[in-house]
Amino acid sequence: MSAADNKNSSYITDKEVSFKFDGKKYIGYKGDTIASALLRNNVRLVARSFKYHRPRGIYTCGIEEPNGIVQILNEHNEPNTRATVKQIYEGIRVSSQNRWPSLNLDIGSINNLLSPMFSAGFYYKTFMGPKGFWKRIYEPIIRRTAGLGKPPKEFRSKSIHQNHNVDIVIIGGGLSGLITARKLINTQYDVLLLEQDSFLGGILKNSKKIEKINNKEPNEWINETEKLIKDSKNIKILKNSLVTSYNFTNHLIALEDKSVGKKIDINKSELTLHKIRTTHTILANGHIERFISFRNNDLPGVMLAASFEKYIHRYGVVPETSPVIFTNNSTTASLLRSLIDLGHKPAAYVDSRNKDKIGRKLLNYLEKNNIPFYINAEVEGCDGNKKIKTISIKKSNKIIKVKSSMLCISGGINPDIHLFTQSKGLVKWDDKLVTFKPDVSFQNTITLGSVSGNYNYEKTVEEINNKLSFLKTKNIKLKIELNDISNFNIKELWETKHERKSNWSKSFIDLHNDVTTKDLKQAVREGFDRIEHLKRFTTNSMGTDQGKISSINSLGIVSKILKKKISEVGTTTYRPPYAPLSFSAIAGRNTYEFYDPQRKTPIHNWHIENKAVFEDVGQWKRPWYFKKFEMESMHLAVQRESEQTRKTAGILDGSTLGKIEIKGKDALEFMNLMYTNAFTKMKPMSSRYALMLGEDGMIKDDGIVCKFNDKHFIVTTTSGGAPKVLADMEEYLQTEWPHLQVYVNSITEQFSTFNISGPKSRDIVSKVFTDVDFSNENFPFMTFKVFDYMDTEVRVMRASFTGELGYEIYITPNKALELWKKIFHFGKAYDLVPYGTETMHLLRAEKGYVVIGQETDGTVTPLDLNFNWMIGKKKKDFIGKRSLTRSDTSRDDRKQLVGIVPIDKSEFIEEGQHVVECERLPKQIRTPVEYLGHVSSSYHSPNLNHCIAMAMIKGGNKLMGSKLFVSSTYGTKNIPVEVVSPVFIDPENKRLVS
Amino acid sequence: MTQLLSSQGVDISQRNFQQIIIRGEGKEQFNQIINQEISKFPPSNNLEVTTNDKFLFAKNSFDQWSLIYLVEQDYKEILKFISKINLNDEILASDYSYGQVYFEISGKNKNEFLNQLTHFDLRLKKFPAFTMAQTLIAKIDCTIYNLKDKYIVTCNKSYEDYFKERLKDSIKL
Repeated sequence: MSAADNKNSSYITDKEVSFKFDGKKYIGYKGDTIASALLRNNVRLVARSFKYHRPRGIYTCGIEEPNGIVQILNEHNEPNTRATVKQIYEGIRVSSQNRWPSLNLDIGSINNLLSPMFSAGFYYKTFMGPKGFWKRIYEPIIRRTAGLGKPPKEFRSKSIHQNHNVDIVIIGGGLSGLITARKLINTQYDVLLLEQDSFLGGILKNSKKIEKINNKEPNEWINETEKLIKDSKNIKILKNSLVTSYNFTNHLIALEDKSVGKKIDINKSELTLHKIRTTHTILANGHIERFISFRNNDLPGVMLAASFEKYIHRYGVVPETSPVIFTNNSTTASLLRSLIDLGHKPAAYVDSRNKDKIGRKLLNYLEKNNIPFYINAEVEGCDGNKKIKTISIKKSNKIIKVKSSMLCISGGINPDIHLFTQSKGLVKWDDKLVTFKPDVSFQNTITLGSVSGNYNYEKTVEEINNKLSFLKTKNIKLKIELNDISNFNIKELWETKHERKSNWSKSFIDLHNDVTTKDLKQAVREGFDRIEHLKRFTTNSMGTDQGKISSINSLGIVSKILKKKISEVGTTTYRPPYAPLSFSAIAGRNTYEFYDPQRKTPIHNWHIENKAVFEDVGQWKRPWYFKKFEMESMHLAVQRESEQTRKTAGILDGSTLGKIEIKGKDALEFMNLMYTNAFTKMKPMSSRYALMLGEDGMIKDDGIVCKFNDKHFIVTTTSGGAPKVLADMEEYLQTEWPHLQVYVNSITEQFSTFNISGPKSRDIVSKVFTDVDFSNENFPFMTFKVFDYMDTEVRVMRASFTGELGYEIYITPNKALELWKKIFHFGKAYDLVPYGTETMHLLRAEKGYVVIGQETDGTVTPLDLNFNWMIGKKKKDFIGKRSLTRSDTSRDDRKQLVGIVPIDKSEFIEEGQHVVECERLPKQIRTPVEYLGHVSSSYHSPNLNHCIAMAMIKGGNKLMGSKLFVSSTYGTKNIPVEVVSPVFIDPENKRLVS
Repeated sequence: MTQLLSSQGVDISQRNFQQIIIRGEGKEQFNQIINQEISKFPPSNNLEVTTNDKFLFAKNSFDQWSLIYLVEQDYKEILKFISKINLNDEILASDYSYGQVYFEISGKNKNEFLNQLTHFDLRLKKFPAFTMAQTLIAKIDCTIYNLKDKYIVTCNKSYEDYFKERLKDSIKL
């Protein structure tokens, strides 16, 4: 027999959709999943299994599917898509995966014959030798064969994130979810109803179990409820949204597929990751049917009974008009009825229970409809080539063979406790239901309906009213009429006994990962008798389906082997996500240009126009260097920029520099505490280079302190350190020194900063700011002036980070570009050159100025940098003072800052290289080579025409003039260097004060 | 004012406001000094926003206020005002006029739109009208003022291009 349409189903439309599977064209209906469409076309073989490459067919009708995993070729080659979830649309191209060369003829199926080699834990037992095989043989082969599907190509996702803050989330739009939503309509609560399907209804649409609700047909009631919800002011429905994670503090993650049943629009987001924060979470996410292990329970044609019924009612396809039904409970009675009502007749009904458990009502129904039935019987196994042909039924030690191409099995149903356990809720074993069900909630979680273990739909309303009585809502009244012939009455059955032994015949416990019941037993024999160990050793329930239809079965089997109760065996941990979701959904828009926020100075566009090459400094985009012509290399540009700056003048956009305004009657005391320097005798309108330490005495930040008066200061910080310095200042003011009356404000963004340096800088600024006297007498080094200019306020400080005569100009950002251009206008006569951060580093290194974070690394004290002069020795206290007198911070052999130059001036020293005493490193280092320190900065100085470097060397101060060696990236010969003062240019500061 | 975008029930425009950040203890003398200058008392409750045609005045924290000029003022007058306030040793007023950018976001879908970029709970019962908050929007520090029918969102000027691109991108998708 073959598949047939359920003509009564509303899902059979006249809208036909053509699609391709493995290159062959098929026709389905709009709304079909890949699975329902393939079943409609009698395609049973859809996949190959993970390890043994066994033929596999559609097993379920939802997210729990372990077999039907396919690749969507026209969606950026999206792999591992569940055929049971993904809807078809016109032109969709689907391919099977994990097979070669074709699904029908898969070379990998040889693994099935070699299966004795791939028994439980083979990963841990093989690949040990011979020596060298791992790298050359095993690893390349495993890399080539492992995994499922092929990764997407040239794919730029447009997934977005959407945050929600609500009072109540209802997960599941089935019977319980919809009744709960009706109860909450137009109440004070903001409610979000999440449904993984493209329509509401759940069990009401999956089966004929419920006849009427309030005397209405289920579909009519669903439509009425959906309209009421949509018209309400407080409930929002999100369809096609699967909740994947339930985190602490009722934080949920749901993934919405916005391209269900249609082609992805590359200009729109295809997925939305909903991040939901709620006060209460109502889990109404139902249950999942489980299977039974028997010989060849993986053959295409074996399908869960409830899924088979779902295909009939939800998609209007009867996958097989004459299947065999095998069960240990009464939920299959509904399937039986559905088939009979459509004029089809099962080939056989096999029930492992006795007459009493089955009940007279169901037996009468079977007899009345002349269905061959076998009670106290089991399916021993099934046989066929790539699909079922015969099913072996064992009754009273006899094997009866029945011909059918499909076998519908039901091993019972499990409350879908995955999300509940993710929320850290505790579960307990129910002997009557033969399953785990929720027990104690850890968060504000309420379970309703079958997820709570309530399989009696008639009692759903009562349960909802009871469990939600704490909410300010009225009780809801609904009358639910059932079609069910019988009650649940399950009998425990996890596996049936094999009668035929062969390498090909296997009884699976995990279809996704190809784990057999034999593997479980072997693992226990080998001592893995703890369920968590056993899971990892066998990989049971570790597939992308996380063993949704089988994990409880494995507990059942293991409990039998160990002769323990299942409750004693316990469960493994359910971890998020509930179902796989792509990395693109997690990343959302935080990729590519939005990966990290970008900060730009007001001069940014000018820099682009002038061929700046940018570097990232924190989130800032800073010009690294400026190309004079397209082919100019960084080295040439930096040499040119630095030469020109020392010759005439250069200008740097230093707007990224941190700036903090400090004011209050205790500002002076605060400054003296925050920095190592002494500010008491500092004159108003002067500035000073200052150091900030951590409490451990190590240098944390540096900057220039400008003093307006004892109650008002402005400080600059490093670009990257600004937020931390401000936060530290606030913290100290609020915690350590609350008695100080001081306020601090960040003014980093309020002032753009330009650093103009070079012998001609005074000439240029004098022409720009004609009202200001820049003479040495009236504007000496380390002083500043504030004046009005271009209808705004400008602050100019005489300071330098290059060793040349220099000025730092501060102006509001709205006038910054205008001023910058003006400076260039007047600077043209002096060949003023813009320079970037690389030249800044070179110029400061020539002068021996340090960069925090380059010469320092959190382990460097001011004494290590010979900054003793910056420590206010008479000050009572400052942060880090006590630590500077510790024995370790004051010892002589600490690493100290020195300059080094190669003895052969044509050599170049690289940053980060080690400084050692030996000329040559041995080819094989057998004993450690004594390490003296490292090179922290190194540049080729165009002004000295050789390499200059700074290094942190043990006891460096005493090594002046010594010959040492610096390692290099090429060869074992080290570069001979001389230890010198780190100030290479103008040690007398003549240029600075000129 | 520059209209940035108007689509799907969201209207966003960029505004040229000016701003002063004021720190102080917020007691009688402090209030008098401010009131003398702008004829308006600073709001006294944390995160409270008061507004009229000219100003938006918000209390950011126990000792910090934002004074936003909704109508562009002569900048020299603002600087003069800051200097006057700063004559008092116990107050710090810092000019933020051009270091910040300002966006006005309105429309019936403004909450849903903004919640693409921030987890902040914008529901009226959690974020009442005429209150403010400092939170992350599109991963950057922003201040958001709820003026009932619209929000004013401010952030550092250096993020202006990035922030505008994120706003446009969110509407587009």
